[in-house]
Amino acid sequence: MIYNKFMPPAKSATQRRTDPRLKKCPFCLKQAKYIDYKDYPGIKPFVDYFGNIMKRYYTGVCLKHQKMLRTAIERARFLGFLAYRK
Amino acid sequence: MPSLTTSASAANETASDTADRDVRVYECAILYSCPIAQKDEAALMKEIDSYFHEAGATLVAKDAWGRRGLAYPIKGAKEANVAIYYWEMDPLKLKEVDQSLKISKGILRHLFVKPPKHYQIIKYADVYELWLKERESLDQKRARERQEQLEERVAAQAKRRAKMTTEKKTDKPDAKISGEAIAEGIEKLISDDAIDI
Repeated sequence: MIYNKFMPPAKSATQRRTDPRLKKCPFCLKQAKYIDYKDYPGIKPFVDYFGNIMKRYYTGVCLKHQKMLRTAIERARFLGFLAYRK
Repeated sequence: MPSLTTSASAANETASDTADRDVRVYECAILYSCPIAQKDEAALMKEIDSYFHEAGATLVAKDAWGRRGLAYPIKGAKEANVAIYYWEMDPLKLKEVDQSLKISKGILRHLFVKPPKHYQIIKYADVYELWLKERESLDQKRARERQEQLEERVAAQAKRRAKMTTEKKTDKPDAKISGEAIAEGIEKLISDDAIDI
């Protein structure tokens, strides 16, 4: 890395945040074939405070499971299990 | 745990005599209003069943969740009863059933889903209740931790106060002694005849 005088000093290993890209898909770890819209405790962690679906970048979900998750969340929203907007 | 694959295979066996009849399993989630009399509920259940039976459907499984809070009011209701059905029926007749469910009065909302292959029916009502209990225990843990922290703080404050008071106590007699010493010194000075002021 080229040293730049405007750059902040490098942080120690404990201070540094883990790279979000290094996360592994929680659904792949469980070998999930289908994400159910009825599984409220399973879906809830992937929805933020305002009811938006969390970005893949932050949760580490793979594209295949993110698509399944999206359909599950939309179905759960339609049936009133999850909020559209808080 | 019941799975749809077994029922599907059973359907294939029965389908041998009705080869032209195409049958699939559909999952139907129904929300109906919550404060409902038992009579009305039974009548509504009969009505729902009649819609499906008219379409020549057979019930595979039923999962009644019971009362559940809604994330937003649907038709003015903040709570609803939830029932999930698994029906084996002709896809061509799905539209009719869908329409009649839409029209029927007691139903707040319904949703038809075609479950994927090798889908295993899980009773999510139990899962949800278990999760609620776990979450309660988590909340209790947090509350306990907070209380412990508060107690620690209070104990630390009490210690500090005790220390301060002891310091004050130790300071006061010193001051008295010094005051007495000063007074004695002044008296000696005054009584001393050798000094002329």
